[in-house]
Amino acid sequence: MTQRVTGQRFRQRKLSTKQNLPVLREHEVEKLADDDAARHIPKVETGVEKGEEIEHHLQAVISASQAAASGGNVAQLYIPTPDAVASKLQYEDLYPRHFTQPATYIRFSSTVEDMVGCPYCMTSDDVIFLKSYNQKKGKTVQCSEDEFEEVMNFFEETSQTKQPFAAVDNPPVVSYEELEAEFDETISEPARRFARDIYNHWKNQRLLKGNRPLIPSLKFETNLETDDSDPYVCFRRREVRQVRKTRGRDAQVTEKLKKLRKELEEARYLMAQVKRREMVIRDQLAMDRQIFDQRTAVKEIKRKLGIKGDDEELLINQKPAPKPKPKVDVQAVQRGIPGMGPKPQLTRPDGRLLDSDLVYLEEQQAKRSEAIEGFIEENLMKHQKWNIGWVDQTWRPITPPLEQAAPKAGFRPVFTSSQLPTPPASESSEAAGDQMEADQPTKQVEPRRSARIRYATPPDDVPYQDQRRFRRRTGRGGRVMIDRRGVKRQKLDSIDERVADRFKYSGDSSEDEQVYPVDWTDNLHIRYRIMIDRQGDKQHAQAAAQNRRAIENHNRSASGYLLPPSNAG
Amino acid sequence: MAPRENSHEPGGTPVPVETGFATLATLRIGVKAFVEKDGEKRKAEILSMQTRRGKPTFYVHYEEFNKRLDEWISADRIDLSREVEWPAPEKPEKKKTTTNQKAQAPSKSDQRNQKKSRSKLDREVSATPEATSVNLPGKAPRPTKAGGKENKELLVTSEVTDGSTPKPDDEEMDLVDVQDAAAAAKAAPTEIYSREDEIEKLRTSGSMTQNQTEISRVRNLEKIQMGKFEIEPWYFSPYPIDFVDSEMVFICEYCLSYYGEVTQFERHRTKCTLLHPPGNEIYRDDYVSFFEIDGRRQRTWCRNLCLLSKLFLDHKTLYYDVDPFLFYCMCTRDEHGCHLVGYFSKEKESAEGYNVACILTLPQYQRKGFGKLLIAFSYELSKREGKLGSPEKPLSDLGLLGYRAYWQETIVDLLMEGKVEANIEDLGATTAMTTNDVLHTLQNLNMLRYNKNQHVIVLTDAVIEQRERQKAKEKIKGKRSIDPERLQWKPPIFSAASRTWNW
Ligand SMILES: [Zn+2]
Repeated sequence: MTQRVTGQRFRQRKLSTKQNLPVLREHEVEKLADDDAARHIPKVETGVEKGEEIEHHLQAVISASQAAASGGNVAQLYIPTPDAVASKLQYEDLYPRHFTQPATYIRFSSTVEDMVGCPYCMTSDDVIFLKSYNQKKGKTVQCSEDEFEEVMNFFEETSQTKQPFAAVDNPPVVSYEELEAEFDETISEPARRFARDIYNHWKNQRLLKGNRPLIPSLKFETNLETDDSDPYVCFRRREVRQVRKTRGRDAQVTEKLKKLRKELEEARYLMAQVKRREMVIRDQLAMDRQIFDQRTAVKEIKRKLGIKGDDEELLINQKPAPKPKPKVDVQAVQRGIPGMGPKPQLTRPDGRLLDSDLVYLEEQQAKRSEAIEGFIEENLMKHQKWNIGWVDQTWRPITPPLEQAAPKAGFRPVFTSSQLPTPPASESSEAAGDQMEADQPTKQVEPRRSARIRYATPPDDVPYQDQRRFRRRTGRGGRVMIDRRGVKRQKLDSIDERVADRFKYSGDSSEDEQVYPVDWTDNLHIRYRIMIDRQGDKQHAQAAAQNRRAIENHNRSASGYLLPPSNAG
Repeated sequence: MAPRENSHEPGGTPVPVETGFATLATLRIGVKAFVEKDGEKRKAEILSMQTRRGKPTFYVHYEEFNKRLDEWISADRIDLSREVEWPAPEKPEKKKTTTNQKAQAPSKSDQRNQKKSRSKLDREVSATPEATSVNLPGKAPRPTKAGGKENKELLVTSEVTDGSTPKPDDEEMDLVDVQDAAAAAKAAPTEIYSREDEIEKLRTSGSMTQNQTEISRVRNLEKIQMGKFEIEPWYFSPYPIDFVDSEMVFICEYCLSYYGEVTQFERHRTKCTLLHPPGNEIYRDDYVSFFEIDGRRQRTWCRNLCLLSKLFLDHKTLYYDVDPFLFYCMCTRDEHGCHLVGYFSKEKESAEGYNVACILTLPQYQRKGFGKLLIAFSYELSKREGKLGSPEKPLSDLGLLGYRAYWQETIVDLLMEGKVEANIEDLGATTAMTTNDVLHTLQNLNMLRYNKNQHVIVLTDAVIEQRERQKAKEKIKGKRSIDPERLQWKPPIFSAASRTWNW
């Protein structure tokens, strides 16, 4: 049955699956040299097992269809299969017409266990037993089929949990007392009434089956050697399949290992440093002890030699006791405070006073800002002078003067519950004590000029007519009104989800930073900004005050060691 | 017709066959005798023996007939006037099971089983360099949408007879080469793969192989009752061993639970409230509905389905659990409920790029065009996924015919739309068929020809005529097809854990 077309072999070009091939009808191509077209059909892999490929009926159908493909007229053949015939069972009784199709596609997730009720189903033996049992009982207490099944099921399940290996080690059937002790919510009160009577029937059934479960069950793996060759063992648990290797996964793993190594090294380094510190402390302690001992010796010698005088030199390495911070005038410190006595001040190795040539950053900065402020003030005055007697009609004046430091008292403060003003920075002595850095940021926030100069230059891209204009009026009862004109409101709805989403991952920032579309001309926002502004003013005032204090404190602490407590002496 | 036996196959180790005359008393398992079947004598192998009502009965497998025709016969159908073939002498003890007393076969069948399972292992192993199978150096992977192994499996082989070595070529293949490849495949030296190998294969891939111990060669259920039908099973299925004695096993049409006694079944029917497969309906037209069931979420139902379908699928294996599969179940509807007609299973993640693992139309609904709908639906899912797909191999005989018919119709329809030109990969992309399947279909229909120094696709008169006849039939009977518009489905995404096995 393997045909070969040896004649054509040497002439044909390779076939490309990507290349467009002309689609022709039979009469458009050259007739094949011989009539038996089927001979030209190459054997291709069928995908059927070799052993079955040769099966009689399959081959018959294949040849028939090949004959058909080559123009023969062949009756359709079928592979014979065993019969399926109509059942004698009453379908209508077994499967009542309960189904109504919902309008939408069915969505369903309940399991078979949820849908079939009590898994125990009565056998014909059970039916016979129940019938005679109910006959013996009076009409008042009849055991229903459901109750019977409930009891049987309870017995089955309980004995399964009590004797999980019943099939292997052949234990006796579980006694009624044991079963009764296990009564729980899986067996209802009405069913319990019959449990004792049903027990004997159940036990007999179990004995007939060699104490194996009454409901036939599938054979699952036992992890014994016999599993593999037993065709009844099915639905084994399959080992988790090998995770497919990808470059991405490899990189991930490498990164994880690198990180782990780095962390371990850091931990190790920390431990080494801790060890070093402890060694140093130990050495220091030894040193201190030595000093102490030697001082004791000195004291002893002094006493022996009768040298009097204070023991100042013995205390040389004692730290000055923490002293109440005196209010010290920097100038005074530099001058040397009169009445301090001739106590020698500590000097640098080169003999100069330690702090005499120290230039403080704050001082320099203060000087500078003073100069700038002066300059601006001056120019402001100039400007005002220039403009005296002139009416400003230009729409782009050069930073015109403001009405003197516009008092904003006309605005009522706005508070919202969501954003309360920050409480003033607490004035703790430690914070004020020696934190040089603390005063730096607050300085920067200082809104030095912003309140004084109005930006009169309108944005270039907005024509004058479209400029926003605001006016504030004070109405009756001190109400403040802001009129506005030419305010173009942003269209908020134009920001659709997808646009907003685009920003979601644009930065490497964390997820909780979000871009909220905001309408800046919204009343709520205007009010909010006013509130912020006023709050800012307050904060600036606080910051300035704190600044001052910080500078003072710094000076104090910087010179603290140099100065004896004011109450000393 | 090539003989099926190991001994006759080229390259196989020849095993001398002992023949002789037998009597009823000397007949034993493994013996091959001539048996009367439908008026003719066929060689058949005795797989099992039993005494029924004092008379010996034999379970026989007819050579060159599918296993589904295996049957119990009485002694008088065996022709003892002709010589029989004796089974090969017992090999040294192999591990084997004695679970079923009724069915014991000599190790000969063991050996054969291994041989049988070899062919499907070929494909698996051929990717590794040491394999001596059809894939020769010329083979090169071909980019496809799915990128699965199946999609790369075009055979390109060097020509041994020519003496010249064609250059390996990525994009091209020779018609003649393919032909030779098939021949080479047939002649490939046989290798013995152990059951361990087979299990190993199961561990790492799909759902199809044969469970080849002796017991499983004998059908274990006599008959099943399901819905309005009584059906004769075709193959072994690992239903509880207790059912071997049942004359009839009753299967609930909706939950697919099984009962050995009609009383139990009737009781079950009073309690069972399921009316359709327990999953989401993803397709509905006025003829059928499709439900998608996750093996992991509906373990009981899917196990029941697998047990049932194993009765009709020889190569299906229930060796491992249902977790890694999705089940697409086709139903017809009426006031009673949704009646399961057929289904196909699909791996949540197929390394080989298969879009179908097992596919079955229940026997009571066969030859009504449902198979084609199932196949069409599987390709519709692949189109949604943007992948090319192909069914898992080995195919059954019926599976092959079903697929070939579908492929032919699909491709011929596409070409008859008035195309002047077509290329094989585009045909595949449009139909979600692999390039290989398109190519094989065209070759099979003798539609790929060499004309005036170039390859052409020929819409042959025979093919057109066949299609016209089919269309005429459809006009009478009504055409059943899958309407992509009615598919409400997105390819499900699974975490690594839910794709595999989780208890
Ligand atoms: Zn049911």
